[in-house]
Amino acid sequence: MTILEIRRVSKFFGGLAANADISFTVGKGSIMGLIGPNGAGKTTLFNCITGYYPPSRGEVLFDGVSLSGLQPDKVCRMGMVRTWQKVRPLAKMTVVDNVMVGALCRTNSLKRAREMALEQLRTVRIEHKAGFLAEGLPIGERKKLEVARVLATGPRLLLFDEVMGGLNPAESEELIQLILDIKKKGITQMVIEHDMKAIMRISDRIVVLNSGEKLAEGSPEEIVKNPDVVTAYLGDCHI
Amino acid sequence: MNVNRISANNNWSSPLRMVTGIAVLAFLFLFPRFVESPYALHIMILFFLSTIMGESWNILGGYAGQYSVGHAAYFGTGAYVTMMLMQFRQIPPWYGVWAGAAVVVLVALIIGSICFRLRGPYFVLASIAVAEILRLSAMNLKELSNGAEGILATEIPPLKIGGVIVTDFLSKVPFYYTGLAFALLTIIVTYFIQHSKLGYCFQAIREDQDAAHSLGINLSLYKNIALVISAMLTSLAGSFYAVYIGFIDPSTVLPLDVSVQIVLICIIGGIGTIYGPVIGSLLLVPLSEGLRSNMIAQAIFKSGMVSEESGMGIFLRENLSHAHALIYGILVVIVILFMPDGVLGFMKKMLARRAKS
Repeated sequence: MTILEIRRVSKFFGGLAANADISFTVGKGSIMGLIGPNGAGKTTLFNCITGYYPPSRGEVLFDGVSLSGLQPDKVCRMGMVRTWQKVRPLAKMTVVDNVMVGALCRTNSLKRAREMALEQLRTVRIEHKAGFLAEGLPIGERKKLEVARVLATGPRLLLFDEVMGGLNPAESEELIQLILDIKKKGITQMVIEHDMKAIMRISDRIVVLNSGEKLAEGSPEEIVKNPDVVTAYLGDCHI
Repeated sequence: MNVNRISANNNWSSPLRMVTGIAVLAFLFLFPRFVESPYALHIMILFFLSTIMGESWNILGGYAGQYSVGHAAYFGTGAYVTMMLMQFRQIPPWYGVWAGAAVVVLVALIIGSICFRLRGPYFVLASIAVAEILRLSAMNLKELSNGAEGILATEIPPLKIGGVIVTDFLSKVPFYYTGLAFALLTIIVTYFIQHSKLGYCFQAIREDQDAAHSLGINLSLYKNIALVISAMLTSLAGSFYAVYIGFIDPSTVLPLDVSVQIVLICIIGGIGTIYGPVIGSLLLVPLSEGLRSNMIAQAIFKSGMVSEESGMGIFLRENLSHAHALIYGILVVIVILFMPDGVLGFMKKMLARRAKS
């Protein structure tokens, strides 16, 4: 079962093709890894999928529905939410209020939203920080806050943009477990990550981007053996 | 260690809070019964007016984070519609106020559709530009607005219900209660916004537009809601001002000064809080009146710090009343430097610090 279909998506900034003719599908309930060197177009692809940029060409189908022309808020209400590479806490609001903002896209009742928010804070294990201002959290907890916030919107598909970036090994491990737990709930995930060990461990399938183009697609085992991928990461002389 | 913790018990247990609230309300309701001085009433009315303006701006600027420096547009439009209806069409102001608010909603939606395409400083500039367009229009559309001559209210008809005169507007007392009612209205509206989904959406937009957008918040919808509420309440202030003073012209109700004044009330009091604009008004109204009427200079002479006959004394007497813009400016600089969260935020921080030690 396909939940997300990316059909020949291209995105041009002037003459630069940040994404060129990219197509792949994501299966319901799976974890899709998205890797590639810096500047490969991973975040641009996320922006095209979630409605921040209209793709220059091609289209994105979510559960069979075209997302063309839809703004991020509509996409979120349809059940697809993303996190940000650079975390974006709502600094002057408390942790629980941050998560409530996410929950409020499913309910109009503050009381209900608060319950939903506290539940998600327990999921990511920062419920003891509920009453703190978000700006006071250290980076590891900020990342968890982002996860709780998107979970509160009741998504069917989550897009994580380097959710483990800048974390220490223990914190990364916690987030890996979190992602695996989310998978158990039946939520599909697409994950951009630079930590190869982590991405190989959690992904069911992986897409590799390089200079805006899709270089390879396959299971983690296939990807590590793919000579094109090795070249892209390590250069020609290593072959 | 945890300075960032929001303490639920900041020395204000809620029964105490309620008693204080009721006491303040009772004081405000009974004030005109005990104080007959028209000047004291005048100061109180200016305080209410300033509170209405501050609270209104606060909804858009403080909660939704859209720093409009063009709120004179709504203030002036409300004032003009009410005055034009009263003087040219003999429609009493208690209807005119609502007509003004309705027109302002339309104006706000047009302005919103233009300005909300822009973000940050560009939005600020656009909001200033639109207000200036309205000022110049009022100046030049002479058939409609009397141009620079302005409109003078010759007579306010008494308010009658079923043929019985409820009140006439000869003394300041009816204005006092109208101002108080409008001020309470804006505070109540703000309270409900803060404790509803609207408040959460507004604040999320203020903190990070893109994050808010990705969490399912329709940016243009919520920004326009904030603008419409804010503009409507500002127009009440404008209409109230016009009828109370009895004269308006483009340079008193539509200039940039008014827009800046509105913003300052909030910045000094504390942005994005229910009582910030009240505190701001409490500081700014007496200050500007004291300077304007030379009361502060008199107080300095009385205290004996400076003799009235000395060179310094003459200088103060002659110039202090003109210096209120300067002193305002210095005050703003001090607040921005030392109390970035406004006076209210500063007081809260001090209370929290004292509670800890």
